[in-house]
Amino acid sequence: MSNGKLLIINGPGLSDLSSDNVTANEDLSLSGIEQKCIETSGEFGLEVDFRQNDDESELLSGLINDINNFDAFIINPAALSKSSVINYDAFSSAISEISNQSKPVIEVRIENIFKRNVSKPLQVPESGLGFIGGFGKYGYVLAIRSINKKLSNQ
Amino acid sequence: MNIYVINGPNINLLGTREPEIYGKETLEGISKECQEEASKVGHSVKFMQSNYEGEIVEWIQDAIINKVDAIVINAAAYTHTSIAIHDALKSYSGYKVELHISNPHLRESFRHVSFISSAVDSVVAGLGTDGYSHVIDLISDLPIKVN
Repeated sequence: MSNGKLLIINGPGLSDLSSDNVTANEDLSLSGIEQKCIETSGEFGLEVDFRQNDDESELLSGLINDINNFDAFIINPAALSKSSVINYDAFSSAISEISNQSKPVIEVRIENIFKRNVSKPLQVPESGLGFIGGFGKYGYVLAIRSINKKLSNQ
Repeated sequence: MNIYVINGPNINLLGTREPEIYGKETLEGISKECQEEASKVGHSVKFMQSNYEGEIVEWIQDAIINKVDAIVINAAAYTHTSIAIHDALKSYSGYKVELHISNPHLRESFRHVSFISSAVDSVVAGLGTDGYSHVIDLISDLPIKVN
């Protein structure tokens, strides 16, 4: 039996992490992250759907179509937030909708984006969006543990 | 592993201060949860709170002298003002996590700037008061060097 369904979506650029030297002390790859997420979700009996798409519109429509099909969400916007205003706004309203349904949603960044100032965190006022950055692949582990706690408290 | 959990101004009011934002959990409750989580994974946690900037700076310096393995800091309102805490954290070479109960980036614009974020390894915000024990738990999984 599943204790909940978790959707993890990763934005443009995350398909290739080989040039990311910020977390040089760990072996970082998208498949390694996915493996870690499946492992951690499994410990809690959570079902997980792990996605990455370099095409913003596809990624976004996937999220919007699936808001009602999942209980919790992890979003790594990667390069998304600095590229398109239209997509960014659509992303924000998707996150608002998730929050309105009282479902946990957490933004996860692999690196500490504030250190090099490469990217800004998502800003969705009045939402319940959480933020985790700089833990490498372990950020996803932290997010999944937090989501599990929230779901089991509901 | 030795961990300092350092809390800034007004965190002592938790449980009564704007519970719709910060929750109903008290500081004492969070401290207890952290100690419990720490003892499960074999860490020793020193849990502190101060309303005074200088005292927070001294605790970070104390962590440097005592070779503490990790600091989890919720500098609260000093996050947005304190270059002194930024400088102290820069001098500390152990693992550093900035933590906030709510997500400052979703709130008033004066909370969007953090002097702490660029001086730490990682940032956690908006996971509620459970964020503390989750971070204590996660620190044992991280590939960080122990003194």
